[in-house]
Amino acid sequence: MMVSLSLAAALALAAAPDPCGPVEPAARPDPGIAAVYRVVGDSERAAGSMEAAAAAYRAALSHDPRDADARAGLEAVCARRHELAFAEGLRLMHEGDRRGAIAAFERARGGPDATSAALLEGICLYELGDDARAAPLLRAAEADAAHRENAGFFLGLIALRAGRSADAQDLLAMSAADPALAPFARDLARSARRSGRLVLSFVAESGWDSNVDLAPDIPGPTSRISDMLGAMTGVVDVRPLGESGPYLRGIGNWREQRTYDALDMRSVGAAAGWQGGRSGHFWLAEYGYDRRDLARAPYMSAHRLFGTARVQLGPTTSAGVSWLTRFETFEPDVDADYSGTRHVAEADVVWSPWLRTVVAAGWHGGRDLARAATLSWWEQGPRLSFRFEAAPRTRVGVDSVLAWRRYDEVDPSIGTRRSDAVFDVAALVEVDLADRWTLRGSLALRRETSTSPEFTFTKVVPMVGIGYTVGLF
Amino acid sequence: MLIISVALGLASTGADEHVLAGARLFREGRWAEALVEFRVAERLGSTAARGYAGATLVKLGRPEEAVEAFEGPGGPPAGRDALLDYHHAQACWNARLYTCADRLLAGVGERSGPRVAGEAARARAAIAKLLSTEPKPDSVDWYLARCEETARAGRQVLARAYCSEAKALGGRRQDRRGVAEAEAKLSRLAAGREGL
Repeated sequence: MMVSLSLAAALALAAAPDPCGPVEPAARPDPGIAAVYRVVGDSERAAGSMEAAAAAYRAALSHDPRDADARAGLEAVCARRHELAFAEGLRLMHEGDRRGAIAAFERARGGPDATSAALLEGICLYELGDDARAAPLLRAAEADAAHRENAGFFLGLIALRAGRSADAQDLLAMSAADPALAPFARDLARSARRSGRLVLSFVAESGWDSNVDLAPDIPGPTSRISDMLGAMTGVVDVRPLGESGPYLRGIGNWREQRTYDALDMRSVGAAAGWQGGRSGHFWLAEYGYDRRDLARAPYMSAHRLFGTARVQLGPTTSAGVSWLTRFETFEPDVDADYSGTRHVAEADVVWSPWLRTVVAAGWHGGRDLARAATLSWWEQGPRLSFRFEAAPRTRVGVDSVLAWRRYDEVDPSIGTRRSDAVFDVAALVEVDLADRWTLRGSLALRRETSTSPEFTFTKVVPMVGIGYTVGLF
Repeated sequence: MLIISVALGLASTGADEHVLAGARLFREGRWAEALVEFRVAERLGSTAARGYAGATLVKLGRPEEAVEAFEGPGGPPAGRDALLDYHHAQACWNARLYTCADRLLAGVGERSGPRVAGEAARARAAIAKLLSTEPKPDSVDWYLARCEETARAGRQVLARAYCSEAKALGGRRQDRRGVAEAEAKLSRLAAGREGL
C-alpha cells in the first residue's frame, strides 16, 4: 500500500498520454484482462464517452496487441476524437468555462477543424487576458480564408489593448469586410485612431455660467453675476507598453471669463503612474502635480497620490476602489487657511447590461484637513452615472454626485458650524463628427445647501465644444 | 484523499491493483483512465470499485451515471464513507436531485475533513436557500416526467431517484402535488416493472 501511495505522489504531475498515440505494450501482457478492458471500452463508447473508451481500448491493446476488436474500436473512437473535442470546447465556451474550452480546443487542433479550433481557443485566451498565447493562434486561424475576418477582429482588439493603434486600425478595417463584424469593427477602428502609445487630445469649449461668484440664492448684498466663458484643454498621454504598464500624462487648461476676470484660470498638471492588468481587471498607482493660476496670479499648487483597483465580478460587472490624497497649497494670503491635505476614497460597482451601456453606482467619503479647523470637513455620499449610445456615433451620459459635508468647528465669521449638502449633476452628449473630431454638449448643475444661508446657491453651466483626439504609434 | 480511502478499504482480491491504479489516475486528474480502471476492477469482482467509479463519473460531468453507480446494486451504502457520500451528494446536486444531496450532506458533517465539511456546509446552505420557498408545480412535474423517461429507458435506479425527488418536493407543497403519483411509480419500480 505504501508503495502505491508513493507512486501516486511521484506521478501526481504526470501528463496523460495522447489517447490516439502509439500503444506501449504492457510489462506483463494478459489477453484475459485485455478482453475485460475491451468490454469496458465498448461500454464507454456506447455511453458516448470517447475519451474513456479510447483509454480502455489502449489498455486492451497494451495487454493484447492482436485484439482486433479493440484495435477497431480505438480507430473508430480516434476518427471522431477531434470532432468530439471541438464539440466539447464549444459547449464549455458557451457555458463560460474558458479554461476548460481552451483545453478541449487544444485537443481539437490536430483534426480537420484545426483552424476553427485555433480561432476559438485564441478568442478564449483573449477573453482571459492572455494575449501572448492568443495572438499566434489567431494568426494561424487568419491564414484560413473562412476565418480571416474573425481572427483579424480579435488580433485588432489585441493590438488595441497593446496600444499598437496603427496595427489595430488595419486589422479592424480588414475585419469589417464581414458584414456581421462591420458595425463593431468600424467603431473599434475609430477608437483605434484615438488610442495608441501616444495620444494627443484637445477640446475647445464655450458656454455660460449662471452664477460665477457663487452668490447665495437668498436676496442680499451680493448680486449674482452670470458670464460667458471660453475654455481650452489639451492632454498628452504616453503609454509606451500599451494599456498595461507605465504611463505619463500632461494636461493644460485655459479658461477665460468674458467679464469676470478674477476667475480667468490657467492650470497645468502632470502625472506618472503604472497600471497592472487591463480593462475591467486592473490596479493603478499614480503620482501627480497640479498648478493653478487665477487672474494671472499663482493660486494653488498640489502634489497628489492616486491609487485604484478594479476586479471583474462577472462578464458584465466589475467592482472598484480608489483613493486620492492631495497636498494642497493656496498661494494668496487670504486663501492660505484652505491649504492642507485632502483625502477622497470611493468604492463602486460598474454594470454593463448591454453593449455600449454602462451604469456605475458608488459611495465616496472625503476628509479635508485644512490649516484652519473651521475650513476642515468630512464628507460622504453616493455617486451614480449612466452612459449609453443613443445613436450610431452619439453617446449620452449623466453623472450625479451627492455629498453631505460637515465642518469641524464653528466658523466665528458666520457664527455657526457649517453643514452642507452638495449636489452635482452633469449631462453630456458627444457626437463623433469624424474619426478624430467630436462635438460635445454639456449641462452642469450644482446645488449647494448649507446651514448658513449665505452658502446656499445654485449654478448652471451649459457648454458646447469640439474635441480632436489622435492616437500615434 | 480518495487514494487513502481506497487503500484503507481494499480487500485483497485480484481487482485490487486496478482499484489502486484507478485511485492514482484519479489523483492525477486523469478521470477517463481512472474510470476505466475502476470499471475493470468492478468486472473483476471488486466490491469497492463501484463507489469510486461514481466519484470519477462526477468528475467527468456524468452525474446521472454517477447516481446510478452510487445507488445501483453494489453501490456503497450511505453513511459508511464520508468522502464517497460527499461525491454522491455532488452527483445528486449536479443531477438536480437537491433533497438527495441535502440528505447525504447532512450525514457528511464531522465525519470528513475540515475542507469537505466546510464545502458540505456551504452546499447545504445553498440547498436550503433553493428549497426555502414552496416548490413550483412545474418543478414537481419535471421530476415526474424525468422519472418516467428514465424508467422507459430501463434506467430504474435513476428513475427511482427522480421519483423520490418528486415525492420529496411535492411533500413540501400544501397541495402535495405529485406525491401520490410519485409513490405509485416508486411502487411499480420496486416491483421491478420497467415501464411505468
